[in-house]
Amino acid sequence: MRNDSERTASAGRTASADLGPALTETVVVAPDAPRRRRRWSRAVSLALLVVGAALVLSFPFIAPNPYILSAGVVILNYAVLSTGWNFMGGFTGYISLGHAAYFGLGAYGTGLIVKYLELPGFVAWVLAALVVVAISVPVGIAALRVRGASFVIVSIAFVLILLLVFQSWREFTGGSEGLIVPRPFPDLLRPEHHRAFFYLFAGLLAAALVAWWVIDRSKFGTALKSIREDEDKARSLGVPTTRYKLIAYVLSALVTGLGGGLYALWFGDLDPIFQFSILIGSYMVLMALLGGVRHLFGPLLGALIVGIALEYFKLEFGDTQFHLVAAGLLLGVVVLFMPDGVIPAVGQLIDRFRPQQTSIRDVSAAELLEQNRRSDASATGAADAREASGEASTRDASDVSDASDPKEVTR
Amino acid sequence: MNLETVELTKSFGGVTAVDHATVRFVDGKVNGLIGPNGSGKTTFFNCVTGMIKPDSGSVAYRGKDITKHASDRVARAGIGRSFQLCRVFPRMTVMENLLVAVRHPSVRTLLRSADDEHERERARHWLRRVGIDHLEHAEARNLSYGQQKLLELAGVLMGDPDTIMLDEPAGGVNPALIGRIATLVRELNEEGKTFIIVEHNMEMVMSLCDHVVVFDRGRPIAEGEPSMIQQDPRVLEAYLGV
Ligand SMILES: Nc1ncnc2c1ncn2[C@@H]1O[C@H](COP(=O)(O)OP(=O)(O)OP(=O)(O)O)[C@@H](O)[C@H]1O
Ligand SMILES: [Mg+2]
Repeated sequence: MRNDSERTASAGRTASADLGPALTETVVVAPDAPRRRRRWSRAVSLALLVVGAALVLSFPFIAPNPYILSAGVVILNYAVLSTGWNFMGGFTGYISLGHAAYFGLGAYGTGLIVKYLELPGFVAWVLAALVVVAISVPVGIAALRVRGASFVIVSIAFVLILLLVFQSWREFTGGSEGLIVPRPFPDLLRPEHHRAFFYLFAGLLAAALVAWWVIDRSKFGTALKSIREDEDKARSLGVPTTRYKLIAYVLSALVTGLGGGLYALWFGDLDPIFQFSILIGSYMVLMALLGGVRHLFGPLLGALIVGIALEYFKLEFGDTQFHLVAAGLLLGVVVLFMPDGVIPAVGQLIDRFRPQQTSIRDVSAAELLEQNRRSDASATGAADAREASGEASTRDASDVSDASDPKEVTR
Repeated sequence: MNLETVELTKSFGGVTAVDHATVRFVDGKVNGLIGPNGSGKTTFFNCVTGMIKPDSGSVAYRGKDITKHASDRVARAGIGRSFQLCRVFPRMTVMENLLVAVRHPSVRTLLRSADDEHERERARHWLRRVGIDHLEHAEARNLSYGQQKLLELAGVLMGDPDTIMLDEPAGGVNPALIGRIATLVRELNEEGKTFIIVEHNMEMVMSLCDHVVVFDRGRPIAEGEPSMIQQDPRVLEAYLGV
């Protein structure tokens, strides 16, 4: 559909170059087509949402064995991380490849607080989240001074530094020996443990999705998206970009850190090389890009696809590095063929099978005539036009909108 | 005095784009800023609006020093601007483009829904004023260049600026549209907005501006009423390169 509209739009543009002023207004959108479309897609989304939520909630009972259940937990964890990443990457377009830093900090923060302060697991989890926020503020201030590729490099540097610190500070973190985190529910058997954490991750994911959704439709969200489109332009319109980017960055770190903390309590054994790996950070990016960073459920969908694929490759090929090759190939395919991710690609596919109702229409001969008449009038009165009073010009503007009354066109 | 610069200077490597420029623009008027290509008009705009840092000199807006202000702060102080190569948010709709502007940010406005009917009505008002209200739902990148220019103008107006700086509003625009833009500028000026306009279209400058400053090689060489400027020998020399 977008292709169609683009074609029409550019056709309109070349036409206006040929015919001069008469056709400057030819790219006309029938205003209620998008509205109808939105209502339709809202109904579909709602239905999908209900089905999806029901599937997630019943999964622990459908899962044939604890192994599959634990794979479900892993995928939900990825979904949380990737959705967390999308608070920054999706809204502002700042691609952090080092977001595993906050996954690791949340996990180690939780583990270390449990170990040294001997607090209950979930209290440690909340405190660790606060630590993550406290760290992400100065790091964000420093990192967000640069854009584009430089920001990517800075984010990678940050996670590599943390990896080194956590590996070498053996007395405190346990180094590469790992850190054992006691289970928060010691009485639960393994399958029940998985089940409990499946719902905890699902709850965290739901909270993150709601937060993303609220921002997405707020004025704050509009401002963040304008940063993604053209940061300098956004600033020139008064958007306090530095502050807004930082807020998005800290929120993103918080959600990712909460995901890490929950992971620590679930898995119970932390290793710096995994917690602070660039690979985990890359997965977050890959999943979000695959599903679609502009969409609420993009990262979740990406996590589902990549997560299932990874589990499958591990099962099939064991401890080989084959899953890395597959992930790399997938990334290539996404970037080349679905730059906006799966969700928009599927949307376009569906549009193709729906009855034609393009939102950008061609101009009928009668309207052309009308427009020519009007532009003739304005051409002969070019001198007057300059002197035209405010009243006259607003009347003129409303004329244009009357002419493009959608009801006349679409019926 | 609306906007005042003192000894404003900016060089790029060996090129001094703005060279100790001391300029004043009058409040409530339509001010023109003209000069040959490369005379530093756009760079001057960028320095004033905080888009780039001047090497030296100062900028004051309505008596307050804004030299060190970042561009978003300048905008919130009440100076809106357009760009020479018109800039819109290509993958946002026309309506969303307008909802970006922020004059008074607060936590409440931040979390307010972008669907806020009051804001939308205000946006529609400006879309009607520039004459593209029928494109409300179109993606900005699907608009023609002229329409994008109108959209950029509406976006600037949405920020409720007191002073509006336009960098070549008539550039790349067909004659009928130039007339519409000129009319709009005059109306808005009557409603109390100050304008500073960079423009090569002399007809537009002469008919629209109350006060004109002429730049050559980064500094003002003449200023005054348009009719006087037209006869100034220094101006003719700068333009003809004698
Ligand atoms: N970012 C930059 N880097 C290097 N040189 C620059 C830069 N911006 C402007 N210049 C130089 O500064 C000088 C002034 O350019 P500027 O764009 O301000 O002129 P202008 O008066 O707006 O010209 P025009 O009427 O063609 O738009 C030119 O010589 C230009 O090459
Ligand atoms: Mg210029």
